[in-house]
Amino acid sequence: MVKVGDRLLGYATDPDVRSRGASGGLVTAVLAAALEKGLVEGVVVLKRMDEYEAIPVITDDVQEVLASGGSMHAVPVNLAKHAVGRKIAMPGKPCDVRGVIEQAKRNGVDLESTYIVGLNCGGTMHPVVTREMLVRMYEIDPEDVSGEEIEKGKLIFRTKDGEEKAIPIDDLEEAGYGRRENCRYCTVKIPTSADLACGNWGVIGELAGNATFCEVMNEKGKRLLDNAIEAGFVDVRPADEKAIAIREKVNSAMLSLGSEWKEKVFTEMPDQERLSYYMEQFADCIHCGACKEVCPVCTCGEDSKCTMFHSLADNYRMSMYHMVRLLHLSDSCIGCGQCSDVCPVDIPVTSIFRRFADPAQKKRNYEPGMDLTRPPFLEVMLK
Amino acid sequence: MTDKEWEPKIVAFCCNWCSYGGADTAGMGRFQQPSSLRIIRVMCSGRIDPMHVLNAFLEGADAVLVTGCHIGDCHYVNGNYKAEVRYRFLEEMVRELGLEPERLQLNWISASEGEKFANFVRDVTAQIRQLGPSPLKPEGVN
Repeated sequence: MVKVGDRLLGYATDPDVRSRGASGGLVTAVLAAALEKGLVEGVVVLKRMDEYEAIPVITDDVQEVLASGGSMHAVPVNLAKHAVGRKIAMPGKPCDVRGVIEQAKRNGVDLESTYIVGLNCGGTMHPVVTREMLVRMYEIDPEDVSGEEIEKGKLIFRTKDGEEKAIPIDDLEEAGYGRRENCRYCTVKIPTSADLACGNWGVIGELAGNATFCEVMNEKGKRLLDNAIEAGFVDVRPADEKAIAIREKVNSAMLSLGSEWKEKVFTEMPDQERLSYYMEQFADCIHCGACKEVCPVCTCGEDSKCTMFHSLADNYRMSMYHMVRLLHLSDSCIGCGQCSDVCPVDIPVTSIFRRFADPAQKKRNYEPGMDLTRPPFLEVMLK
Repeated sequence: MTDKEWEPKIVAFCCNWCSYGGADTAGMGRFQQPSSLRIIRVMCSGRIDPMHVLNAFLEGADAVLVTGCHIGDCHYVNGNYKAEVRYRFLEEMVRELGLEPERLQLNWISASEGEKFANFVRDVTAQIRQLGPSPLKPEGVN
């Protein structure tokens, strides 16, 4: 039996799952066990199309869950909205997890019946940019790639003929490739608001590459892991001091790098310029509503009216739609970058939303998606 | 549109029980005030959605005033608390947008404070006249 707060090293007992998973297949096995033992009705998995494309699907087939192991850094989907109204278990990057928590705060998700296995995340890449990067920087045909990996600050691509090429991520980002912009300045690398916080940071020595560091964050995480151990899907052992220290070290190194990026991206703009910058950027908008559609924290769902607020006849300098989005996101934006990814006219939506949300959230010491006890700050607290 | 023709256009949200009464008192007391004001009466300042304010700006308001009962005097117990929470937040947003902070103002005015209402409107109008037309004003709107 594990305890809340335990820090463990674990791996899947099935050798096949263990080798397919990015680091020991613990997450895959835990999710499969939850489904097998009836803890949940479905599991959200990424159905792999190719190296750059995967579709999130909700499956009730244990074999499909077991077959879904392995991470894909070039598929930056957000899974939070798949948890709405369902009894499922899901893996998630910190932004997925924060999305679910924000949904739960607004009664979109019932956390009692939703299990979240958080994954450490140092950043994801945009599929289109990745393809371009492969051609320009790696001189590899994107179709020849058979796998990718991030190790010691280097991004490694393997080709089908077994060749490997590694380039430091810093160099890639210098050239405008690498991680998505919002990932560079992301402030949460370990999803401490999930039920289990897993990742390969802190796994060293003989276990490196085939075990997962796992922290039990709450009662639900304990239930999830106990269930997997009882079902014989995973094996765990306590992590030693060294592993814990290394995980912390990686985390703080990532965070300090993130805050450097933050200063680089969010340069101060004088008032007058700021307004014309926003108007200019939003002028390109074709009002497709995609940024709202993918937004993991938008709880209006299908009933949302914000997309109807735009009319060309209005002749406004800025669309009412963006105003509503700015308002709604100021207290909930987690900076996941989905909106920028899907924007068909390449408006830097995420960085604009962050410009509004960041100071407001900082002022109220409010970090969305991290703490269930704090209500959204627009919710009026009466004495 | 030349500068000469431009007169500040100010939208004021007034609550039915206090600040609208204040505006009434200002009129009855014959306190001089500029004609730049357009009053929108709401039942309570708690009814004022941040979107109403933003929409007013987009429609061409040079300034928006949010007014209501004094804290503790709300006809609906705590509507003006709610208005204040939203206002504080809206204030930041308007500033971040790049609008001058003078273009959005909050004031608590009771039904008997006609003179205060008139002075408030006069002050804001003078400030806005200094600032000029709002950069969010649509083309062709005066």
